[in-house]
Amino acid sequence: MKTQTFLNLAFITFASVLVTEGKPLSYVGGTMVMQENDETGHTLSLDYTFTPTEAFGVYIKQEENGKEIFMFTPEINTLLKRWNLPDGQGNIFNMSGAGIATYRGSNQPSLWTAFLADYESRRWFLSYEPRFVWDGNVEKSVWQRARIGFAPYLANYDALNTWIMFQVDHHPAKHDHFVATPLIRFFYKTYLFEVGYGSNQHIMVNWQIQF
Amino acid sequence: MNKLITLIIAFGLTTIVSAETIHTSVNGMVCAFCATGIEKTFRKQPEVESVKVDLPSKQVTIKTKPGKTLSDAKIKEVVTYSGYAMGKIVREK
Repeated sequence: MKTQTFLNLAFITFASVLVTEGKPLSYVGGTMVMQENDETGHTLSLDYTFTPTEAFGVYIKQEENGKEIFMFTPEINTLLKRWNLPDGQGNIFNMSGAGIATYRGSNQPSLWTAFLADYESRRWFLSYEPRFVWDGNVEKSVWQRARIGFAPYLANYDALNTWIMFQVDHHPAKHDHFVATPLIRFFYKTYLFEVGYGSNQHIMVNWQIQF
Repeated sequence: MNKLITLIIAFGLTTIVSAETIHTSVNGMVCAFCATGIEKTFRKQPEVESVKVDLPSKQVTIKTKPGKTLSDAKIKEVVTYSGYAMGKIVREK
């Protein structure tokens, strides 16, 4: 039921902005909506970037494939370090949230923090993200996610960009501890859409929009 | 004498109302989100008439409004504020 409610909310948000992962920061004054559906559950986040290195917003998640925990936390995303190179860009971000986790009708405090290290060129993409989650006495876990991507062709930003990617997740708190997901990512201007199929036979669908 | 005065006035007017086209390379601009962020941040500058981003060459072309210009320091400030690093600047009148 919660999943259905969450999906409805996500759809309404999607529809309201007409269309909608990537980086947790936009340009200053930009708003970013991101929605992820993968083997860990369904996530919706809405962030406003207010300085070149900080964005603030809300993070909502319905966990699946383990304990069905519903999380609602304000979040802050911080660019800790960026390397601007002639042919690429490297980043280290921190994303942290504090709020409420609901499990079987019981509300618990929820704290989480994640670090995202990535390198991206026009042709290659690499990322690694460890995530630390504490949901009161319901769950304490550490997740890891890594990605590698390749752009088969190079296009300008106002044309369709395509990435072939491979993602590996390790989340001991879930039924499926290791999941490998080949996926395809499409970028068009400020719209991002990606779809993949995990080794645990889950379909992954993510989208993001900046405006 | 009259021709000389006319020429001086014409040259002066041209100088006053001419717009400037500025090309700058941007280090770190590798994705569509990056390009859009830079484009939007430049568009907010009152001196800017239009902005064109070429992602493959990592070049940004800025056309100023007539009689307006953007200093190198200002361009660097905008690029840095967008989260990137400025490369070489080339100007044409």
